[in-house]
Amino acid sequence: MLTWILGLGGVVAAVPVQASDDHGAQASFAVRAQHLRLFGNEVVHDGVLVVENGKVRYAGDAKRAGEIGHDVIEHDGWLSAGLVACRSYSGTRGDTLEGKRPLTAEARIADVVALDHVDFERALAAGITTMVIAPSAANVVSGATAVVKTHGASFVSREAHLALSFSDSALRFNRYPTSYMAALGELENALARPSGVWKRVADGKLPVLLDAGSRDEIQRAVRFAKDHKLQGALSRAPWAGELADDVKQSGLAVIAGPFDVGTAERSLASVVALAKAGVPLAFGVDAPWNSEEGLRLSAAMCMRAGLDGRTAWESLTSTAAAVAGAGTRVGKLVSGYDADFVLWSGDPLDLTSRVVAVYVDGQRAFGGAE
Amino acid sequence: MSVYFGLAIALLAGAPQEDKDRTSWTISAEWVYTAAGDAIEGGLVTVSDGKIRSVSSGDGGQLQCFAVTPGLVDLSVRIDRGWNAVEQSREVTPEMRVVQALDWFDEGWMREARSGVTTAMVNVSDRNVVGGMSVVVKTAGASPQARTVKADSVLYGAIGSAPSSSNHPAYGRPDDFYSRRPTTRMGVEWEWRKAFYDAALAQRDKSKQVAGTTELQKVLAGEFPLMIQAWTTQDIRTAVFLKEELEREGLGAPRLIVDAAAEAWREPDLLVRTKTPVVLPPFAPQGRTGEGSFFALETAAQLDAKGLLVALSGHGARQVSQRLAYQPGYAMRGGMTFDAALKTVTINPARMVGVDRRVGSLESGKDADLVLWSGKPFELSSAVIGVLVDGRLILDPRQANK
Repeated sequence: MLTWILGLGGVVAAVPVQASDDHGAQASFAVRAQHLRLFGNEVVHDGVLVVENGKVRYAGDAKRAGEIGHDVIEHDGWLSAGLVACRSYSGTRGDTLEGKRPLTAEARIADVVALDHVDFERALAAGITTMVIAPSAANVVSGATAVVKTHGASFVSREAHLALSFSDSALRFNRYPTSYMAALGELENALARPSGVWKRVADGKLPVLLDAGSRDEIQRAVRFAKDHKLQGALSRAPWAGELADDVKQSGLAVIAGPFDVGTAERSLASVVALAKAGVPLAFGVDAPWNSEEGLRLSAAMCMRAGLDGRTAWESLTSTAAAVAGAGTRVGKLVSGYDADFVLWSGDPLDLTSRVVAVYVDGQRAFGGAE
Repeated sequence: MSVYFGLAIALLAGAPQEDKDRTSWTISAEWVYTAAGDAIEGGLVTVSDGKIRSVSSGDGGQLQCFAVTPGLVDLSVRIDRGWNAVEQSREVTPEMRVVQALDWFDEGWMREARSGVTTAMVNVSDRNVVGGMSVVVKTAGASPQARTVKADSVLYGAIGSAPSSSNHPAYGRPDDFYSRRPTTRMGVEWEWRKAFYDAALAQRDKSKQVAGTTELQKVLAGEFPLMIQAWTTQDIRTAVFLKEELEREGLGAPRLIVDAAAEAWREPDLLVRTKTPVVLPPFAPQGRTGEGSFFALETAAQLDAKGLLVALSGHGARQVSQRLAYQPGYAMRGGMTFDAALKTVTINPARMVGVDRRVGSLESGKDADLVLWSGKPFELSSAVIGVLVDGRLILDPRQANK
C-alpha cells in the first residue's frame, strides 16, 4: 500500500482539485476519497473511483485498484453515485398541463424541457445528476415523462413512462371528466383497444406512473395495474404503505415524497411499511415548487421514522434509477456505468454533509473550484 | 389491505384478537326475529364459515343478547367521494358505475355497520338526471371483492329539482359545470324521456348508440330495476307516468322503484296500479323533508296495507336519529306491525334489488349478517350491542354485557 501511494504521490500532488476549468473536460481521471459510498449500504474507506471516457471503470478499495494510470484527485470526504430524483417539473416553466383536454397520451414533456434551465443548476447543487421530468398529474392521461441528466443537455430517455392520474386532481369542474368513474372508464377504454403510446404500455414496453392520493385512489390504481399487468410506479400515494401487500403483489414501485420536517408521521410510516413489504422505493422532489434539497431530506425523514439506511440510499440512487428505467446506466458506481458522482463533505445520508462537487458523465458540472 | 381491514375491525369492535378472523359462532337470544316466518322465543342461531347453518329453539350460545334480527339492508346509503363521484360533464350518465368511485376505507362504513346496517346500496348523487349504476355492498369485510354483493344492481337517477337546481344556461363565463342542462324540473323530465326514446331508437339503428345506451336498453328489457328519487307527489307521478308511457309505446317494461318517496301517501293508487316498490326516506320532525315534501308517519303502514313492497332507508342522513335502525320504530308509530316493520329494513329491500338469496332474513344457507339487540328491536330504549357481517364480529356484545 505504501509503495502504491508513493507511486501515485507525485501525480496527486501535481493535480489538486482546484485545477483549471478544462479539468472537467478531462476524459479519464480518478478520484480518491476517504469514504466511498457504494451500491447497497457498502462504504469503503480509502476508496478510489476511476473514470474513463465518461464511464466508471473501477470503484472500490484504493488498495485493490491496481495501476490507475490517470491523474488522481484527492478528496478529503465522501464520494457517491449521483442522486436520482424520480419526479420533478424542472426546466418546464410550468408548461406541464394541457388543461382542457383530459387525455393527452401523445404529449411528451421532453418537448418542453429546457435542459439549460437554471433549475438544473439547483439540482446539481443538491447532488442530483438524473431526474425524471413528469407532466402534471392534473390530467387523467397527461403524457410521457422524460429522464434527463442535470448537466450536459442530454436526455437519458424522451419517453420513460406514461403518466396517468387516479387522483381527484385530474377531475375538474370545467371539463370532462368530473368523476372517478368517467376517468377510470377512459383508462379502461384506452387499454381495451390500445394504439400509439397505449400499445407500448399494453405490450409492457412503456411503464406507467400512476398518481394517486387517498387510499381508495391508490386501491384503484393498483387494481388497474394488476388487471392490465402494467409495470411502473405509484406516484405520491402518501398512504400506500397501508395497502403494502396489495402494492407488493402488483409489482409496482412507489415514488414517495417529497417529505419535509413536519410531514405527518403517517406518511413516513407508510414508506417504512412499503420497504418492509419489499416494494421498490424512490423519491420525488417536485422541483421547482419544492427545493431540490428536499430529495435527501425526504430520505432522512423516512430514516427518522425507521427506514433502514440501505433502503434509503438505494431509494436515492439505484432503485430510483431502475424506476426511471435507467437502472443499467446510472445510480451505481460500477464498471461501465455513467460516471455520475458527487463529492460530499461527509456521509450523504447525514444531512449535515454538503455537496463539494458534482460530476456528470465524467464532466465536472458543479463546485470543486475552491 | 386485508391487514388494514382486520386491524380496523379489531380496534373498533374491541374484539379479542383471537376472534378477529373467526366466522363460526352460536348466538342465543330471548327472541330471534327471522323476517321469514314467526319469531322464535328462546332461539339459537348457529353460524359456520360466515353462513347461517341453523335457526332453532335453544340457548347457551357463545354470544347472548335479548333479541337477534337479520342485518339491516339500506338501499340509499350515501358513502361516496362527493363531487368526484358524479360525472357532471353530462346530465345523463347511465354508464357510470358507482363501484368504480367507491371509497372502501371511508369511516362511514364502520358507522353504518356498528349501527346495524350490514348491507348497503350506494347510489350516484342526485346531481345528475340519470346518474348511473348502483352497487350493493357489505359494510364490512376483508376486501372489495369479498364485500361486493351485487355490482350494477339498479340504474339510479332523480326526478325533481335536485338535478337542475344549481344549473344555469351558459352566460357570462360559461366555464363551469353548472352551465348545463337541465335548468328546470320540466327539463329533468324531458331528459328522462329523451334518454329512453334515444335508447329505443338505437335498438334499431346502431349508429345512434352512445355511452350509456346499453344500460338504458337493459332497463327497458327489465334486466335490472330503475330506481328514481322522487320526493314529491308531482315527481312520483312523473316517474310512474314515464314507466307507463314507455310501456304504452311498446318500448319496454322498466322495473321502477321509487326512492325517497316521501309523499307516496298522497296518491298510493298510482303506485298500486303499477306495483311499484317504494323506498321511504328517514322520518323527519313535523314531517317536513326533502324538496319541500311532507312525509306522514302513516305512509309505510298505509302502503304496506295496500300490498306494496316497502323499504325504509337512512337516505344518507347524518343525524343519528335518522339512522336506519330507528326508522321501523317511526313506521310502527304510524300504525305498522312489528313484523311488517322488520321486513321494511331487511327482506323487503333485499328483494327489491335481487339480493334476497343472500341477505335479508335469518335462514339456513344465507350470509351470517346479524344484529344483536339489548332489548326489543327498534325501540328507542334498545341498543345495537352486537353486529356480525359474514360471520365476522364487527361489534362484540360481550363488551356490552360486562
